[in-house]
Amino acid sequence: MSSRKNITPPRLADWFFNWYCQNELGESIQGDLHERYELYLESHSRLKSNLLYWMDVIRFINRFTLRKKSTRKTFTPTIMLKNYTLVALRNIKRNLAFTTINVVGLAISMAICLLIIATIDDQTSYDEFNAERDNIYRLKHKRLNDVNLWLATTPLPLVDKLTNEYTGLEEVVPLRRGFSGEIIDNGKAITLSGYYTNPEAIALFGLELEQGDKSTALVEPNTVVLRNDIAEKFFRDKDPIGQELVVGDLGPFKVTGVLKEIPGKTHVSFEALASYSTVASFEKQGKLSESLNDWDKLSSAWIYFKFGSGTSPENLQDELDRWADENYDEDSEYDVIFGMQKMTNITPGPLMGNQIGQSMPNFFIYGLVVLAILIMTCAAFNYANLTTARALTRFKEVGVRKVMGSTKSQVVIQFVIEAVLVSLFSLVIAIGLLTLLIPAFESLSMSSLLEWKLNPDTKVYVQFLIFSLLTGLFTGFFPSLYMSSVKPINALKGMNGPKMSKIGLRKSLIVTQLVISIVLIISATLVHRQIKFMITKDYGFAKADIVNIDLQGQDYDLLRPELEKLSFVQLVSGANNIPSIGRHDDIVVRQNVTDEEVKYNFFSVDENYIENLKLELIAGSNFTPGQTEEREIIINEEAVESFGYETAEDAIGGNLILEDSTNVNIVGVVKNYNFMILYMDIKPLLLRYNPEEFEWAQVKVSGANRIEELKQLENTWAGFDPNHDFEYKYFDEQIEEFYAVFYDIVYIVGLISILSIVIAGMGLLGIATYSIQTRLKEVGIRKILGADGRTLVFILGKSFFIMIIVSTLIGSLISFFGNKAWLELFAYRISFGFDIIGIAFLFILVVGGLTIGTQTWKAMRTNPAEILRNE
Amino acid sequence: MRFNLGEFEEIVLLVVAAQNDEAYGLSVTTAIEKELKRPVTMSSVHTALYRLEEKELVKSEVGGTTKSRGGRRKRIFMITSAGKQALLDAKNARSHLWSMIPKVVFENQ
Repeated sequence: MSSRKNITPPRLADWFFNWYCQNELGESIQGDLHERYELYLESHSRLKSNLLYWMDVIRFINRFTLRKKSTRKTFTPTIMLKNYTLVALRNIKRNLAFTTINVVGLAISMAICLLIIATIDDQTSYDEFNAERDNIYRLKHKRLNDVNLWLATTPLPLVDKLTNEYTGLEEVVPLRRGFSGEIIDNGKAITLSGYYTNPEAIALFGLELEQGDKSTALVEPNTVVLRNDIAEKFFRDKDPIGQELVVGDLGPFKVTGVLKEIPGKTHVSFEALASYSTVASFEKQGKLSESLNDWDKLSSAWIYFKFGSGTSPENLQDELDRWADENYDEDSEYDVIFGMQKMTNITPGPLMGNQIGQSMPNFFIYGLVVLAILIMTCAAFNYANLTTARALTRFKEVGVRKVMGSTKSQVVIQFVIEAVLVSLFSLVIAIGLLTLLIPAFESLSMSSLLEWKLNPDTKVYVQFLIFSLLTGLFTGFFPSLYMSSVKPINALKGMNGPKMSKIGLRKSLIVTQLVISIVLIISATLVHRQIKFMITKDYGFAKADIVNIDLQGQDYDLLRPELEKLSFVQLVSGANNIPSIGRHDDIVVRQNVTDEEVKYNFFSVDENYIENLKLELIAGSNFTPGQTEEREIIINEEAVESFGYETAEDAIGGNLILEDSTNVNIVGVVKNYNFMILYMDIKPLLLRYNPEEFEWAQVKVSGANRIEELKQLENTWAGFDPNHDFEYKYFDEQIEEFYAVFYDIVYIVGLISILSIVIAGMGLLGIATYSIQTRLKEVGIRKILGADGRTLVFILGKSFFIMIIVSTLIGSLISFFGNKAWLELFAYRISFGFDIIGIAFLFILVVGGLTIGTQTWKAMRTNPAEILRNE
Repeated sequence: MRFNLGEFEEIVLLVVAAQNDEAYGLSVTTAIEKELKRPVTMSSVHTALYRLEEKELVKSEVGGTTKSRGGRRKRIFMITSAGKQALLDAKNARSHLWSMIPKVVFENQ
């Protein structure tokens, strides 16, 4: 009997039973099983008994044993919510500094994400006011023997095909280009632009008329419908209907309608719509080029249509293919296929050519979403890191909760609620930041291109709220799992919580964050320096105190004497283009009739140009003033070389043939100057004496009193041309403006680098807190044994210092090669100096030093007796 | 409320009543095996007991710790008044049916 007592049932079977049965029945059943096993042993062999035992265990798998451990039914999960919120708020209050860091870190990342959400909302809101937008399509075409890109325009003969050879379309609307011109209103010239289209357009684009009849407004030739703000501009209080507008060379148009204000964003922007019937007569008169019956005019119009019920796009596609086959030959220049595109898929939509307005490609939207996810993941990771790092102080609380009967899921809920609260606080700050960010972003020249109007409405704020709740759930999830896995007995004994595993993984994540920060800091500094360099670089010509006046079609020769009358005007010169902002014309040039034609860049100038821009004549002389026929030319040093002359002097007297007709003599050579955009090298250049082509008057002023001078210049202009406003720019500002788009890049990269530094700093802080907390006892013992502050700082900070160094090395290498790629596009560029790496390193060192330093200092200041008392 | 007692459930309930406050899974199993000479698996007895508990014909209590069974406590099953009523009903139904059988049927036995 006693020997049998020592025989225990097979352990594996017991383990298996305990695995599947985890409710309160388990204990008594297992007791019964063991008792029964002993009974088996009395009459069976041990092997047989084991087998029977196994059979019993397996037979016990049923709904009673598999049932989950029951919780008390009377308990409602919401009953503790108040307590959790209270404890969370107390905790937030008690660790105010820590919470602030957490909230601010999260808020910065969140602000960027909110900006992205607002942008996506804004960019996807095109044509939302159009109730029929899901049935509206636009035709597109692609040339098979050309670049592989769909183009949004289609030839106009398709309009006839769609209306007469295909049934089932409710409206077919062409928008033909070419309706624009200047209208002289009260002596001021105002440009009006729009499209030729048929009356159905108004309904198709979801527009409505404020005045006029929808069905007849655009029927008659030479009639026009105006946008309401435009109508107000021209007619003010007068009734616009029936009035006449003379649109540039196109002639008079009768106003037959005024549109109501467009209720939202639309991808088609226009100021006026002219009647489609006008097109036929204008094409006959030669005011517009032939397009109505020309299948080869692929880019003169856009065609929209609306499907009625019962027609499918597939059906129409077959027809489109047939029409393309009929009208285009595979071997000809135009081998075209047609397709169609839903209105909702235009912007954001696939990248296409010939768009009717600005369109954001959809990959941009995807990119933004990925960016938002990346930023939030980083921030969430850091939050988790910081929370778990501080967990040591809260294990006791969790322990007590568990002893008092809290389940694991309740602890999880508690910590998730805390994270959600932090995330909601962050949302408030993030919205505050956003209101600062939006104007800054809208002022970027990039955003005006995309019609970026970020005015978040209720819908967007609801999205913000959902986003922050999700962020809270996401960020709180991992720390809560960690906190809830603590065993109450360990927590109450004062032992550490569950071992934090994968410290290596944490370290490598932080190194990654640091590397990203360093790459961004270095890149931002480089971009900034490069732009500074380009703007302040010596262009080889003078640009201070020169006012560039846009001639707007006026005669330079008449304006010049007027300007010269002003006392402060020192010199006036004319030119067809402004140098160094990326515009220059070219012309074919030959030295002898038999030579190959070569293209050269040229500027049309006059005899004052060289003096005005302080160009240096290194050989020959200036133009002879007052020539009526173009016979002289001045070239730059590069051109001397490219024409094959040994020295500048040799070139003087040389003969050039411009465009087969004009024979000119080289009279002078100027020193090279940067007439092209600065990232290109200086190319050969011709300065032609050609006042007829002037578009700019460049006026050198004294600069003593800019405001007074501008006023007088404006008065002179107004007396000279009352129809056009005085359009001017200071030369140096004009050049700076041209490079402003680069400042956008600096701005964005700078912002992202600040963000990345914050995120990386948070990461560092988290890991520093954790590793120092776990080493507190070590610090205590070291202090007792006589370690001084310096040694302790060295011991505690060593691994972080190594992390920073490693990150700097990797980051510098990546940014060196990454930035080299774009820097090499610039002919004039700054060098990648070690000082830049030094700056980035210092920056990270300061951020790292601050975060780690404070933690180390705290550890050092702690009285060793307090830490070691419990031992 | 009235529940239909299954045949096996009735037997288990009878044994629980018979063992009066000392019935637990194994004891009911061995009692059925010994008294009725009927092979029965312990898990089916347990299942029957839990089902009876769901029907509130028995109630269970966890007993004190015992030295045997590795210190595991027994779950003691007790018949409730509803259980007693159910047994009485079943018995009465049977005897009523018995009384309806004419004597002739058993005459030749």
